[in-house]
Formats: sequence, C-alpha cells, structure tokens
Amino acid sequence: MTRKKVKLAFITNDSARKATFKKRKKGLMKKVSELSTLCGIDACAIVYSPYDPQPEIWPSPLGVQRVLAQFKRMPEMEQCKKMVNQESFLRQRIVKAKEQLKKQQKDNREKEVTQIMFQSLTGHGLQNLNMIDLNDLGWLVDHNLKEIHNRQEALKERAVSQVARAEADRMVQSTVNVTPEKAPTAFDATVENMQRQQWFMELMNSNEQMNFGGDDMMLPFGDNNPNSSWSNSFFPWDK
Amino acid sequence: MARKSKGRQKVEMAKMAKESNLQVTFSKRRAGLFKKASELCTLCGAEIAIIVFSPGKKAFSFGHPCVESIMDRFLTRNPSQNHSTTAPLVEAHRNASVRELNVQLTTVLSQLEAEKKRGEVLNQMRKASQTQCWWEAPIDTLGLQQIEQLRVSLEELKKNAAKQVDKLLMEASNPPSFFGTSTSIGGVVPFNAKATGLNASMMPPAGYNPAYGRGFF
Repeated sequence: MTRKKVKLAFITNDSARKATFKKRKKGLMKKVSELSTLCGIDACAIVYSPYDPQPEIWPSPLGVQRVLAQFKRMPEMEQCKKMVNQESFLRQRIVKAKEQLKKQQKDNREKEVTQIMFQSLTGHGLQNLNMIDLNDLGWLVDHNLKEIHNRQEALKERAVSQVARAEADRMVQSTVNVTPEKAPTAFDATVENMQRQQWFMELMNSNEQMNFGGDDMMLPFGDNNPNSSWSNSFFPWDK
Repeated sequence: MARKSKGRQKVEMAKMAKESNLQVTFSKRRAGLFKKASELCTLCGAEIAIIVFSPGKKAFSFGHPCVESIMDRFLTRNPSQNHSTTAPLVEAHRNASVRELNVQLTTVLSQLEAEKKRGEVLNQMRKASQTQCWWEAPIDTLGLQQIEQLRVSLEELKKNAAKQVDKLLMEASNPPSFFGTSTSIGGVVPFNAKATGLNASMMPPAGYNPAYGRGFF
C-alpha cells in the first residue's frame, strides 16, 4: 500500500491505470464480501472495465442474478429511494464535508477566542482586536461569568445545606431547652455562623490549592509585561 | 496520555453478534464501499453497479453511469450498448459535471483537514498554557477564592473590552485625517459637522451591541 494521497481524477498513464484498476477492483470485491458476511445481508457487485467485455462480479453469476431479481421485485419507489449515481453520491459527500467543516471552524474559533481572553487577562492589550474579535470576546467573557456565578451559587448552597442539616440534628436533640418563638432566630444565627466558618474553611483550602506545583509555575506578573496594567491588582501574588 | 480509542482492530469475519453494532457497521461500511466504488469509476473509468440490502431490508444501490443501465447490460448479456446519437453527448456532459464535483469535494476535504490540524495546534497550546496558568483550568476545578479572583478579572476585562469597542466606533466615524479640512466655501466643514453629529449619537450606553449571535455562536 502506497499511502500516498491519490488525486481524484482519471489516471492518464495507461499502465498505472490498469494496475490501479486491478488492485482496487480486488479490494472492492473484498469489501462487498465482508459487508455481506459481517452484517448477514444480501449484496452483489458488477464491474465493467475497458479491458474486458465480460464484467467482474460478486458473489457469482447466480448470486448476482438472485439479488437483481430481489431488487427488481421491489416497487420502483423503494428501488429509487436509496439509489445514487456518481453525481448524486458526490453531492451528498460534499454536503456532509461542508457541514463538518463548518462545525470544525466554529470549534476552532471558540478555542481561538478563549486564547485571546486568557491572553487579555495577563496584560496583552486589546488594541490589536477588531470589532468581530471584541464582540466574540465579550460573548465568551459573559459566558464564563455565568458559569462562575453558577459555580459560586452551587458551592454556597452546598455549604448552607450541610450546615442546616447539622444544625437540624442538634436542634432536635435540644428542643426541651428552647421555646418555640426563640427557636427560629437561634437557628438562623447558628446557620449564619456556621456558614461563615464553612466559607472561611474553604478559603483556607483553596489557598493551599493555589500553590500546587510550586511557585516556579506562576507567571512573573509585572516583571516581563509592559502592558500589565490590570494584572498586578488582580493577581496579587504574595511571594 | 490516555488513548481515546483502541485504534484499528482486526475484525472476525462472521456475522456480528450485537444487533446495535451490526447496524452501525452496516451504515459505515456501506458508505465506505460506495466511496471505493466511486473512486474506482473516477480513477479508472470503470462502470459499476452495487446493490446491498440493509438489515432492515431496505435496498441501497450505487451505479455509474446508473444502476439500471448496468443491470440491463448484465442481464441482456449484450456487449454493444447505448449506441444512439445522443448518448456520447450525454455521457460527456455527465463526465464533465462529475469531474467538477470531484474537484469541489477535494477542495472541501482539504479545507477540513487544514481546520482539523489547526484545532490540534490550538489544543496543544491550551494544554501547554494550562500547566502554568491556574485560571485557564476548567471552572469546576477551581477553589472559592480562585473563582472570585477570576470573576473580578473577567468583569474588568469586560469593561475594558467595552471601552475598546467604543473607541473603535468613534475612530470609525471620526477619521483623524478629515479634521480641519474645509471643503466648502460657506465655511461649514462638512466632515467636522458630520463628525460632531455622529459623535453625539455614537455614544452607546455602557456595554456594546449584545448581538453576539454574529460571533461564533
């Protein structure tokens, strides 16, 4: 197998064309056979070449006749529904390829704008961006802010529900000592207290997270960047 | 690096056991088979017909020049076919459009390949920078304080971007080169006047055109 990309056009060199025909015809027959076996279905192939008035066929003359008869027995509409020729087949492939291309371009654009966003955060100026870039950047920033908001809400909820559950258990145990009117306020105050403690604990935990991998991994903000107008104030590294 | 799939594996040549796999295999292999047949026609000038029945008994067929003519040619065993006067012309026309379609397809496929490569490059770059910049990691993995820091920075970036948009809009309506030119005898400098008029209306409220739909989404 050559593994060289072959141009999709008629091979003008006679000997090359004949050699290619022989190889590919053999491969085609193999593929039909495999399809039939693997999926347990009926199939046939008929190949006419300029080299032989007799066609090359699969599976056998009788097998081909049987499949053709089966095909012809179907109503014409059923025959034509999934019938293609070179032209229609190529058109279908073009449509599919164009769809894939569009999707890939969209994904790439998203990656590109994400990169722009992160670069902008570290001090690269926005002067080089055109309106389209700025618009897309704005969209992405908003999208990320939304995600951050959701994440923050989720974390708060988790903290509150954990605290509430713990307090509820404690309340159940000490109901004899508390009057009904006082109970709600005591409960709220405790929740608030516990909330604060919880958040403080998370802060401590995340502080540890920030130093993963050692200090040498952190970008030296303000050292190399002439445009680091915001980075110093928003990424205050205490070294 | 973990592999996403096992890659090409040898398949046993027997009817597939799982019904779901069988259907998928049929779809993929049928498409591949037709593609190979189409290529054989283009490359070597062969005339082919292939008929396959799906597991659901539907008939899929490929034919060049067309399924019926190949079927008839085979069944009648007549070596001499379509010898009407119009046939060569029709065939030439058909071959021309096929050639054109092949060119079109090749173009789109190479564009697709280029974009895929670009995607790979972008992925690599992102991966590399993620090892150095914690804020580039997925938001789900960040701690509370990190998220808050990121949020503040993003809000600032949003403001700066809006300012930049305003700046660009102003520059577009006030090209500096036109300032000071007087082109009319009446003393009114048309560009300046226009500029001031535009200036007033060009001051959008904080923020920019929320029609992000024009962007990549």
